[in-house]
Amino acid sequence: MAQTFLDSNELVLNMGPQHPSTHGVLRVILKLDGERVNGTECVVGYLHRGVEKIAENRTYQMFAPYVDRMDYVASISNGLGYVLAVEKLINVETTPRAQVVRVILTELNRIASHLLWLGTHALDVGAITPLFYTLREREEILKIFENYCGARLTTHAFRIGGLQYELYEGFEREVIAFCDWFMPKVAEYEELLTNNRIWRDRLVGVGILNAADCKRYGVTGPVLRAAGVKWDIRKALPYSGYEKYEFDIPVGTNADTYDRYLVRMEEMRQSIRIVRQAVGAIPEGPIMAKVPKVLKPPVGEAYVSIEAPKGELGYFIVSDGSINPYRLRVRPPSLINLQALDQMVKGALVADVVAIIGTLDIVLGEIDR
Amino acid sequence: MIPLLKKIFLVDLFQGLWVTFRNQHPKHIYTEQYPIQRPKVAERYRGAPRLNINPDNGETLCISCDLCAKACPENLIVVTSVRNEQTKRKDLTTFTYDTSRCMFCGLCEDACPVDALELTQDFELASYTREGLIWDRQMLEEGPKPTQYKA
Amino acid sequence: MAAEPWDDDLTRALAQQFGNRVERYATYLGQKFLVAEMAAVRDIIEFLKLEAEFDYLVDLTAVDYPNRPKRFEVVYILYSFARNERVRIKCSVAESERPLSVACVHATADWMEREVFDMFGIEFAEHPDLKRLLMPDDWQGFPLRRDVSILAMDNRWVKENLGIESGQ
Ligand code: SF4
Ligand code: SF4
Repeated sequence: MAQTFLDSNELVLNMGPQHPSTHGVLRVILKLDGERVNGTECVVGYLHRGVEKIAENRTYQMFAPYVDRMDYVASISNGLGYVLAVEKLINVETTPRAQVVRVILTELNRIASHLLWLGTHALDVGAITPLFYTLREREEILKIFENYCGARLTTHAFRIGGLQYELYEGFEREVIAFCDWFMPKVAEYEELLTNNRIWRDRLVGVGILNAADCKRYGVTGPVLRAAGVKWDIRKALPYSGYEKYEFDIPVGTNADTYDRYLVRMEEMRQSIRIVRQAVGAIPEGPIMAKVPKVLKPPVGEAYVSIEAPKGELGYFIVSDGSINPYRLRVRPPSLINLQALDQMVKGALVADVVAIIGTLDIVLGEIDR
Repeated sequence: MIPLLKKIFLVDLFQGLWVTFRNQHPKHIYTEQYPIQRPKVAERYRGAPRLNINPDNGETLCISCDLCAKACPENLIVVTSVRNEQTKRKDLTTFTYDTSRCMFCGLCEDACPVDALELTQDFELASYTREGLIWDRQMLEEGPKPTQYKA
Repeated sequence: MAAEPWDDDLTRALAQQFGNRVERYATYLGQKFLVAEMAAVRDIIEFLKLEAEFDYLVDLTAVDYPNRPKRFEVVYILYSFARNERVRIKCSVAESERPLSVACVHATADWMEREVFDMFGIEFAEHPDLKRLLMPDDWQGFPLRRDVSILAMDNRWVKENLGIESGQ
């Protein structure tokens, strides 16, 4: 019969590692039945630099700049997690002033990260315009970082025990000006995308990952919240004084790509809310707690995690009492979120794979470390 | 009924186009025409390293204490010195700084007790050779001299 | 600061279920952990998931102590959304031993175990597809073991691939 002539084998297609929509060097092997995806396999590690091994050969202070290079889109979050973990290990709490400044910078960094996500995600799905606008707004945040610590991306802004740099003249004014200027911009993105028919057609109902699956795969961050789980480490296990700020955790209902978009948009607004509260209440005082110059944490181990823009970013540090960490493990949110890709793309179309990788908001520097 | 009309008249499309149109104004231009128009970087910018000299007598401020080399995670600074018998201090002989491996983290400049080593606002560090990225004392004191383009 | 004993309803329930298969309950810096024997870990994690709502495996990693009789320590970090609580489970594993995979309990353990295998060479029994995750498939050795030096790895790579002395 005619049908037996038709070869209905699975087609194996390599997406990446140079495919632009994989946001770096991710390689996804797709098993296709026509346009449908039957299964995937991710090949990661092209960007592996052995961060955990480097840590074993550096002192605690020396290792701090390296964490910026994992999730280079949100380097300040990485730095915050690291310094908090070491501070936990040596049982020191930083000064109130340093805490507030840390919160401001981290929240600005969250916005910057979400902006880059929004721009590139929209670009993947076919909307070019938002990328230009989001990069423009991100530029303003990076300028604040540059003025504060002298670097835009790999900031190395925090030190163990506090901050290295005092605030510069006009920091508060600049941050408030940014907040005022930025809020209408979020509305502008929403105007461009939220009701856009193409955007909705490409995102609604695509890449559903419900709450139970999220927990099974250990998925955290906006992806988990879009599935309706109201969980944010900033609220659940507050660190760095987050319990003092008023903000909401946005949640979605449909657990699809579109809801994740809405959740992240709302998160940007909530971050602005936190920044506003924090800028108004920067206490006076020292920016550095008392920390010995040669850092030798007592023998022991600690796990500290923070809510990075991508999910739970954790540091597990084992100290043997020497100046180098005995073992430092990073729990990268991107890597663990990426694991759910297989579940999300099963049965979807090839074009949806691009949208789903975009919605996971992965950074390969962090996946491969 | 209204959603249908909205669909027919492409309301969402025009909404988006209106946003694009609003952003057409030249005051929204953000692109820098780089080689001609040079950006002004922040005062604290961590760029090319510089070994400061005393402006009065042209002597180096560096006291060859080697703290910067010890603070550097990448181990890329090499300081050598000889002991001066008259002043009982160390005189700097060579200072090598490998910018190709530097990550401009600023730990060396924080460690320097006399503010001799500093990361400056120069950001054009490219070189045609690998050796050109390894800076010696003279280069560190003079700073890079990038070609300046005029419009 | 030394580790303090940890004693509450959860430890009592665990003690009742597992008896002396759990060697120690303790907290350090306010973080709870328990040390169990290797063979019991999967049961403990399953018990915690079903009976105590520890439904999220945060992290799974290993630490290498070359001087101990049982060389590796595998660390599991669990979190419960309902209790808002984190617990660490540790077990010692000798080089020749194969701990049971927990991928059937928490799907997220799949890649984490692959990474531990990749970096330490600990093989997990009953793992669905145990192969290297980050390092190239043909890589020799396990980079995160304490006795592997970065410099030696570097020099070997340069020698093999570029045919020169690396000079580091
Ligand atoms: S900036 Fe950092 S990497 Fe560069 S020389 Fe100084 S300490 Fe070393
Ligand atoms: S720390 Fe400063 S004074 Fe000491 S060797 Fe380095 S540059 Fe010279």
